[in-house]
Amino acid sequence: MLTNSVFGQFVGKDNLSVALFYMQKSELDSAKKYIDLSIQEDTITSSPKKLYYRGFIYKELYKSIDKENKVSTYRLTAIESFTKLLTLNVDTNEFSESGAKILNYLATTLYNDAARLLDPDNYQTAIVNYEYYRNTMLVVNPNIDLRTQDAKFKLALASMLNRPAETEKGLDSAQVNQIEKLYLEVIAIDPNNPGANYNLAILYYNEAADIINNMDYDMDIEKLNEVQDHCIEIFLQALPYMKKSYELNYKIKETLIGLSNIYYGLNDMEKSDFYKAELEYLEAGDRHKELKIKIKELEDKGMNSAEEYKKYNTELQNLLNKYKDLEKEK
Amino acid sequence: MKKIAIILVALLTFSSGFKLDDSVDTNSKMKAIFIMNFTKLVEWPQAYREGNFVVGVVGESPMFQELSKMAKTKKVANQTLEIKKFDSSVDISKCHILYVSQNSKDDISDVLKQVKTNSTLIITEQQGFVDKGAGINFIIKDNRQKFELNKKNVEKYKLKVSSNLEALAFSVK
Repeated sequence: MLTNSVFGQFVGKDNLSVALFYMQKSELDSAKKYIDLSIQEDTITSSPKKLYYRGFIYKELYKSIDKENKVSTYRLTAIESFTKLLTLNVDTNEFSESGAKILNYLATTLYNDAARLLDPDNYQTAIVNYEYYRNTMLVVNPNIDLRTQDAKFKLALASMLNRPAETEKGLDSAQVNQIEKLYLEVIAIDPNNPGANYNLAILYYNEAADIINNMDYDMDIEKLNEVQDHCIEIFLQALPYMKKSYELNYKIKETLIGLSNIYYGLNDMEKSDFYKAELEYLEAGDRHKELKIKIKELEDKGMNSAEEYKKYNTELQNLLNKYKDLEKEK
Repeated sequence: MKKIAIILVALLTFSSGFKLDDSVDTNSKMKAIFIMNFTKLVEWPQAYREGNFVVGVVGESPMFQELSKMAKTKKVANQTLEIKKFDSSVDISKCHILYVSQNSKDDISDVLKQVKTNSTLIITEQQGFVDKGAGINFIIKDNRQKFELNKKNVEKYKLKVSSNLEALAFSVK
């Protein structure tokens, strides 16, 4: 129970002063009560000092009791206060500088939480947190370039959304559209993003392959022609992105398989075989290196007469007979 | 921010496993559906409407696997679909449809000799074969699977071509 002596020290003090008093004593609930009262007193705009301390108190509340809450209203209120502070048409002062630093810290926590929430159950919240992060960073520094971060987040989100594709469940058309949109947005930011190009090509290819796989053998020819037209369009959509992945030398074996399969889907067997042959040559090169290492190991052990040694040498010779240029590759 | 970068980077590494669905042979599936349609749009003599409906594949071809898959679930009218593989023309036995793969080691003329007077629809997939004895030849036009029809080469084996099939062919001879 508060005594008269405690009440006595607040006589003549405004709500802001009382809030600061409790804040210094780390009695944050009381500090919150009085800072909110202080803000409510203002009819038009609040002073930088009030905004700063409101932000500070809510930030402290978030840190001390609400850190695990990925949708903390304390955090959002803190951000709102500092945002108002920084957008006030006043000269830069101690409040602005310190406020900007705290806002930067709060933005960081939003980014972290967005990353942690990238799972099938919580990704919508991750998107919201990421948006808050962006908007907050733009308040701290209106000239900041967030495109790299945007691309990373969208890529991570798309990868997460694609997980059902790896199960028997597969993706429905709404999910495909959502993932497609994300990759296109990444490519708009960074046309040479290898992951986005490769994954978008695969997304399109799998979409067409899935349609063909699910076609009933009883489908009539008119319908078959319609579906074929649609699939060809999708394969053609996949092609430039897989070609870009090839140019970027990204996941080269998978990309060669992708190109071979896309051209096969387009009924261009010549090009399909071309990329298949390139893949075979690449794999032969890898096997060539592997065999040379194994043969050397056996030679070093003096096992030149072993069956294994003979077997490797035979395989190596067959490889070199088929691919004459392999020995020249260093 | 370093911790965040690690979280995001790790997420990308573990989750960037987009895999190409290579479980379907797109070309063979299309051709198999065309062939199923041919069984409905070509009429065989009465004697061929009893017993199994036999489709033979000459030469190494993914069509054998695809047609075998189709045969597991589909029938031709009341007839069970039976798919046979012939390594060479000398092995060819009586079939309703004979699919001559481009990988066949035999000349088309050798295949035709084996077919003799059987009521067999001969389907090929090489340019010009519709003029060399094939009733139907698969071709590619604008990346699309199409087929050419030679009515004479079908009808000489006592088969009847429906007008619908003629209308759907890329070209009719």
